[in-house]
Amino acid sequence: MVDHHVEIEQLVKTYPGAQKPSVDRVSFSLPRGEMLALLGPSGCGKTTILRMIAGLIAPTSGAIRIDGRDVSAIPVHKRNMGMVFQSYALFPHMTVARNVSFGLEMRKVGKTEIEERVKKALDLVKLTGLGERKVSQLSGGQQQRAAIARSLVIEPELLLLDEPLSNLDAKLRDEMRDEIREIQARTGVTAIFVTHDQDEALSMADRLAVMSNGRLEQIGTPREIFDRPQTDFVATFIGAGNFFSGKVREPGVAEVEGLGELRFSGEAPTGSSVKLMVRPHRLVLDGTGAAGVNRFSGTVEHIVYRGQTLTLTVRCGTQRLQADLPTHAGVLPEKGGEITLAVAPEDVTFIEKAAA
Amino acid sequence: MNQSTPFLGRFAWRTLLVLLYLFLLAPIIIVFIISFDTRQYLAFPPESYSFGSYAKVFANPTFISAFGRSLIIGLVVGLGAVAAGMLLSLSLARHEFRGKGSVNFLILAPFLVPHIVLAVGIMLVMAPIGLLDTYAGIIIAHLGITIPYTVRTIMMSLMSVDRRVEEAALVHGASPAMVFWRITLPLVSPGLIAGGVIAFLISFDEATISLFIVSVRTSTLPTEIFHYLEYSTDPQIAALSVILILISVGVVIAVERLIGLRRAL
Amino acid sequence: MNPAARSADGSRRVLLMLLLPGLVALGVTFVLPLLWLFRASFASSAIGAFSGGDWTLSSYETVLTDPFYWLVAWNTLVLGFNVAVFTVILSYPIALFLARTESRWRGVLTALAVAPLLTSSVVRTYGWMVILGDQGVINSTLQALSLTDGVVRLTNNSFGATVALIEIFMPYAILAMLSGFGRLNTQLEEAAAMLGANRLKVFTRIILPLSLPGVLTAALLVFVLAISAFVTPRLMGGGRVFVLGTEVYNEATVTLNWPLAAALSVLLLVLFSSVIVIYQRALRALEA
Ligand SMILES: Nc1ncnc2c1ncn2[C@@H]1O[C@H](COP(=O)(O)OP(=O)(O)O)[C@@H](O)[C@H]1O
Ligand SMILES: [Mg+2]
Repeated sequence: MVDHHVEIEQLVKTYPGAQKPSVDRVSFSLPRGEMLALLGPSGCGKTTILRMIAGLIAPTSGAIRIDGRDVSAIPVHKRNMGMVFQSYALFPHMTVARNVSFGLEMRKVGKTEIEERVKKALDLVKLTGLGERKVSQLSGGQQQRAAIARSLVIEPELLLLDEPLSNLDAKLRDEMRDEIREIQARTGVTAIFVTHDQDEALSMADRLAVMSNGRLEQIGTPREIFDRPQTDFVATFIGAGNFFSGKVREPGVAEVEGLGELRFSGEAPTGSSVKLMVRPHRLVLDGTGAAGVNRFSGTVEHIVYRGQTLTLTVRCGTQRLQADLPTHAGVLPEKGGEITLAVAPEDVTFIEKAAA
Repeated sequence: MNQSTPFLGRFAWRTLLVLLYLFLLAPIIIVFIISFDTRQYLAFPPESYSFGSYAKVFANPTFISAFGRSLIIGLVVGLGAVAAGMLLSLSLARHEFRGKGSVNFLILAPFLVPHIVLAVGIMLVMAPIGLLDTYAGIIIAHLGITIPYTVRTIMMSLMSVDRRVEEAALVHGASPAMVFWRITLPLVSPGLIAGGVIAFLISFDEATISLFIVSVRTSTLPTEIFHYLEYSTDPQIAALSVILILISVGVVIAVERLIGLRRAL
Repeated sequence: MNPAARSADGSRRVLLMLLLPGLVALGVTFVLPLLWLFRASFASSAIGAFSGGDWTLSSYETVLTDPFYWLVAWNTLVLGFNVAVFTVILSYPIALFLARTESRWRGVLTALAVAPLLTSSVVRTYGWMVILGDQGVINSTLQALSLTDGVVRLTNNSFGATVALIEIFMPYAILAMLSGFGRLNTQLEEAAAMLGANRLKVFTRIILPLSLPGVLTAALLVFVLAISAFVTPRLMGGGRVFVLGTEVYNEATVTLNWPLAAALSVLLLVLFSSVIVIYQRALRALEA
């Protein structure tokens, strides 16, 4: 409990006049120095959560605690948060340096110290020497950096980033992705960033909180989220997958209609209905003939060449499977050919909280 | 399409436009020419040219003092209309409240009522409380007709201010009052200046309402000119008119230089 | 009290402070005057009207029974109609040109077209007195060319007032048309021309229909401005043009019959509002 830096508990926000809550009983917590991604489709309530944490809007109910202290009575300008807005929201009438120093001026920090800290912050985000530029003279990436510097210079309790990369072009996005991660690691600031892009979330965050329709679906490390999705939504939202409905015949073995027996990992009571998922890249061409592995034989219906991988659609019984095979995997299958695909039971995920 | 236009048609079209522009600008051009006529009475074309009429204007105590009053009234009205307009715009752009529609209507309503009707009404209201022919009276009256304009220009500026920028200031430690002084106010200043200039020019040029409210003590330049013109049309008025035009144009050019009028409006 | 409620309460107080100055100013210069005007039009003397004076219809009786005021109302409508029609006709080419031109002088020419707004209407009226006066530009020219012996009367009558008002309202009409011409663009015309429309067809089938809303708005605007004008009719009319504006001024400042001035103002307001309402009804009917 004590080692949780930030705690969100049963947070609810219903906008005035709205039929249903935009954020519905969301709880999660972060240890100090963690970077958490709030991931979900647009409109699921991510920004709303961020704005409640910042104090820009008041929660309908629930608590936000920092170091165990409820902050709901603290007005926004005294919460000591840093926030990077989607549109950066730099002050257009000030120079870059004045933008960065703004928070320090508001905190009545001495002049010389302000100068020092602004310079350090600009160095940190690689804007050295650009302090006297006007905001409009910066490129998109530089504006982004300036916005980050403005937030970090005040040594905030928590850094909030709302879709920080969505306004950048693809190349810059990759660059800033690493950069933000590095800056966060270097400063050790606890951070929450919002995104609807799964790659971004998976590659930047220590942990992911996946949201849908105002509810928290699952929270966990990128690996857990990707390999062990607990809900239908998480399984379908993140990555591609082959989904099967089946009945558990004995522990670890399910009967899937039109496909046959499927061994999986995870514990499901015998006789229950289960939903299982296999990621396309976990399916391999069966060459080993090892025992205890699931095997499916079928006809290749469709092939899409994607450079490093080949995406196959294979008809097995009444099911269609999608498989991503590495293009360097020796003899490649051809359209219309018969192949056998294999997958290990530990790569067959049992989706625990799937709707029946 | 212009290329295919027959030469004659294009020529006729251009001529028409030139003539219409001439008609539109005729009184200003003529007043300008007449103002340099040496003669004491109105005639055309001028016999010879001099600054005599201008000298007479500057030697005319009635005009000079009326000019001073117009200037003072215009400045106070400009400032007051901007201040009231700023407050009204803030409440309309930044707050949700019951009766907002009525306030909006009330602000637009003076556009919908002829000034002469307002003038009679204002005169009737001000007469019993002794505001007729006082600075307070004329300033209040001019505020009423200029506030709708300042609200409009300031609202437009305010709408163009990104709310996120204000929020960013809040999050990074600025109190709401600080946000207003350091962020909102500087960002809407073009709107404030434009609104102030418009209000000043309206007040400075206004005759209809002033004629009902002022008399000898607080007569403004337009009312003095009006009364003068009821009896005489000599070139002195032309010189005075040119001065008035130059002031208006000067103010607009200054604003244009200062902040760029297109951005301000 | 929880913080949310406290801040809501605080913001109510802030809101009140924001609204108060402007609303007081508008109340004093708009709401009260209209109420007083209405009340005074039913009083027998202006003084009595403010301290529980009497109620009488005598001012309205005067206005409605005296044929002079019927003439005044008629004059006002005729003036308004003439000014509106000619202002629109003369402004249309300029507005059309400004809306369609791609010349780099467009900004300057637009500024030039609306610049007269920066000039007091008193000053511009004076300009027309100089142009149209008995010894003015036109008469001097005519005499110099020996085209007339005597003076051609162009001022001190409604002709002069009409001409001056047309010029004074042209910038308003141009502005109204320009903002109503939004959908006009040369590409549309080029497309029509490529489809085989000749210039006349392009004008009647494309330009005119698209510019009509702007034209109609401008006409209404000029009409309502013209029927409430008084400075220009008074100066250009030399006391011989009788419209509602001049009579209101006369009763208010010369005769000092304030109840009558108030009644005439109410009449003007009624005329003003009915024109707007009828016009908009007609427009809607036309569109349907
Ligand atoms: N100020 C607001 N007033 C009313 N509804 C809002 C407001 N802001 C957001 N919403 C609604 O709340 C939901 C969540 O919005 P948001 O938090 O912005 O989603 P996200 O950031 O995940 O895209 C949406 O349905 C949106 O329409
Ligand atoms: Mg969002």
